[in-house]
Amino acid sequence: MNFISTCAISKARSYNNTVWECVIPYIQEPQDRAAISLVCKSWYEIDAITRKHITIALCYTTTADLLLRRFPHLESLKLKGQPRAVMFSLVPNEWGGYVTPWIKEIVESSSRIKALHFRRMIVKDSDLELLATSETGKGLEVLKLDYCRGFSTDGLLHISRFCRSIKTLFMEECTILENDGEWLHELALKNTVLENLNFYLTDLVKISSEDLELIARKCASLVSMKISDCDTSDLCGFFQSATSLEEFGGGSFSALPEQVDEGVLNEQLKRYSIAFPPRLCRLGLTFLGKTEMPIVFSIASRLRKLDLLYAMLDTEGHCLLLQRCPNLEILAARIVIGDRGLEVLAQFCKRMKRLKFERGDENEEAEGVISHKGLIALSRGCIELEHLSLYVSDITNASLKCVGTYLKNLQNFRLVLIEKQQKFADFPLDNGVRSLLMGCHKLRRFALCLRPGGLTDVGLSYIGRYSPKVRWMLLHYVGESDKGILEFSKGCPSLRKLEMSACCFSERALAVAVLRLTSLRYLWVTNYRITASGGNLIHMVRPNWITELIPATQAPVHNVNGEVLAHILAYYSLAGQRTDLPSTMRHLILNI
Amino acid sequence: MSRSAIELDFFGMEKELSPPPKLPTFARRRSFRDIQGVISKINPEVLKTVIANGSSGLNKSVTVPCTPKEDHTIFPPLPVHGSNLRQSCEPKRSAETAPMTIFYNGMVAVFDVSPHKAKDILLHAEEEAQKPAESSDSKGTGSSSDQKNILGTLNGDFPIARRKSLQRFLEKRKERSNMWEPYGRTNKR
Repeated sequence: MNFISTCAISKARSYNNTVWECVIPYIQEPQDRAAISLVCKSWYEIDAITRKHITIALCYTTTADLLLRRFPHLESLKLKGQPRAVMFSLVPNEWGGYVTPWIKEIVESSSRIKALHFRRMIVKDSDLELLATSETGKGLEVLKLDYCRGFSTDGLLHISRFCRSIKTLFMEECTILENDGEWLHELALKNTVLENLNFYLTDLVKISSEDLELIARKCASLVSMKISDCDTSDLCGFFQSATSLEEFGGGSFSALPEQVDEGVLNEQLKRYSIAFPPRLCRLGLTFLGKTEMPIVFSIASRLRKLDLLYAMLDTEGHCLLLQRCPNLEILAARIVIGDRGLEVLAQFCKRMKRLKFERGDENEEAEGVISHKGLIALSRGCIELEHLSLYVSDITNASLKCVGTYLKNLQNFRLVLIEKQQKFADFPLDNGVRSLLMGCHKLRRFALCLRPGGLTDVGLSYIGRYSPKVRWMLLHYVGESDKGILEFSKGCPSLRKLEMSACCFSERALAVAVLRLTSLRYLWVTNYRITASGGNLIHMVRPNWITELIPATQAPVHNVNGEVLAHILAYYSLAGQRTDLPSTMRHLILNI
Repeated sequence: MSRSAIELDFFGMEKELSPPPKLPTFARRRSFRDIQGVISKINPEVLKTVIANGSSGLNKSVTVPCTPKEDHTIFPPLPVHGSNLRQSCEPKRSAETAPMTIFYNGMVAVFDVSPHKAKDILLHAEEEAQKPAESSDSKGTGSSSDQKNILGTLNGDFPIARRKSLQRFLEKRKERSNMWEPYGRTNKR
């Protein structure tokens, strides 16, 4: 090849590079970015310097240093720490997931990160202080402490005092040591740009409604406020001032005795008659009862999101309210809503996109539960559903087939069968599950939690075969023998994260399955009986694969076979073994 | 960064367990965790003997749950890592019942019970243990909710265990309804 043509080729290449340097920054979808970084070295480099956001699904899969060296211009970081099981009190908090090394690195590298989201991690006051007083803290716009613990209101005070650019301060479901309400007062005095404030489902009580009102007056862009328990009648001033408010959650209503006369009921209603802001369309009122429910009627028709998980409504109450909400797109409620409630949804709430039904207590379950009938009605009526998560008292193949037939937009499906009875007439559910998976071709997240006998090995193989796009799965009481999991693992090409419990599979079968699942990078198994010798789990050992065994009980108990109940957590990591295991905890780390 | 060690006794059980097979006599235990702590200190060999002794005259079977029988024919050949495959395996336990071992006042008993029955028994024991007023955990995730989830754990009922936030809401709701006594009002706060 002569000199001129090589020059032309290299000029063309560099021209191409410039084009990609202009185009790639516009692509922000994480999966696209991951693909881009694998094409060639120059694309890897372009991706590295233009990547704006990254989510690290488990904080021990890499180090802060590695991450920030690769992506020096990151603007937004989401980190997840403890396994999901910690939300069900199954993993002790000392397990780990500390933000300290991450905040240290962010501060030391003077990172221009504007948004930080920590989920299920341990955050200390010293971490918050370090962050707040740094250069990064000055420019910080979003801080989300999502189901975190380890800090107090003193740490929050640093944030309020120094992070003047904070637009989103989110602390939902955090465990916070409360010393005083100074942090909120400071926020009210100093901040004028706040858009979202969230301390929903925390136990903070030293909250002044005057501070909330001050925030509403000073922050014209306040769009979302979710608070802890605070009597709703004290919030009239707040609601009057929060003219841009679109979302509210929390509050509280005073408890009334069961038998009261009408006068008392009218008084209650009068006390809580609130003029809601004109744009409010996302609402969740804690302890809302049937007596107070009418206060919501005036805005029910414009509600797009409703949280009834912490309300006090019975089946009828749900029906009365929901039939007034034709524009509802997102609903969370307890299963006391019943099949009747689901029929109301199917009839009146045609725009429903996300539904979540959680379990109440046993008394409520005597009143109302969801069965296969409710599921059928829902599938036929709410065909725009994208997320559906529910606890059912019984289930049939026909109802699962119905889901597959009608809910073509479903991306996220989660079904848990509660143990109201021992025998289920329509077991096994092999055919229903297959129909569902074949019909819901957009499914990305799938959870199936049954009882013994719910799914045979054949049914489990169907899950493997018919879930091409599913990236996360939770399976409980599925399959009958090792054959099931081995067949399952031949499929699931996109499965990155697998959680299992009530596992009947041997260690060796589990290990082989893990080796076969081509995309798997995270495995969690609850309450597995591990053999004392370390067992056949070592068959899954390979480079960069870490296996942790977490005792299921405080003091590990051997059975007469020498087996111990433990959880398995296994994942790919670039960071090697953890160095922050607590001394009180005994882990086995299998590694080569 | 490569390590060759694979710990065989990963929970350090052998270090903890003392050789003398003397069975301790137990004072009345107040909490489930205490009972578990005691169980973990007993030599498994001793446990087997005691259970065998305690079995006579009690209604029980000593089938113990174990990992399922391996079917060697369905596994592909694997790189050998020098592990010992478990050769023996007792019959798979029935899905309906599992053995429950109870230590009480120097006695050991093993019963084959269904998950429901086990839950009931543990709930009764928990109620008894909690009768003297316990100081509540200020964090709200008190021992009662953890113990409820221990019950869930024993059944392998992970998804059926309730989320902490819901658990706390249900407890608060109970407190609210308890505020109104049948004979006169209690002070609200």
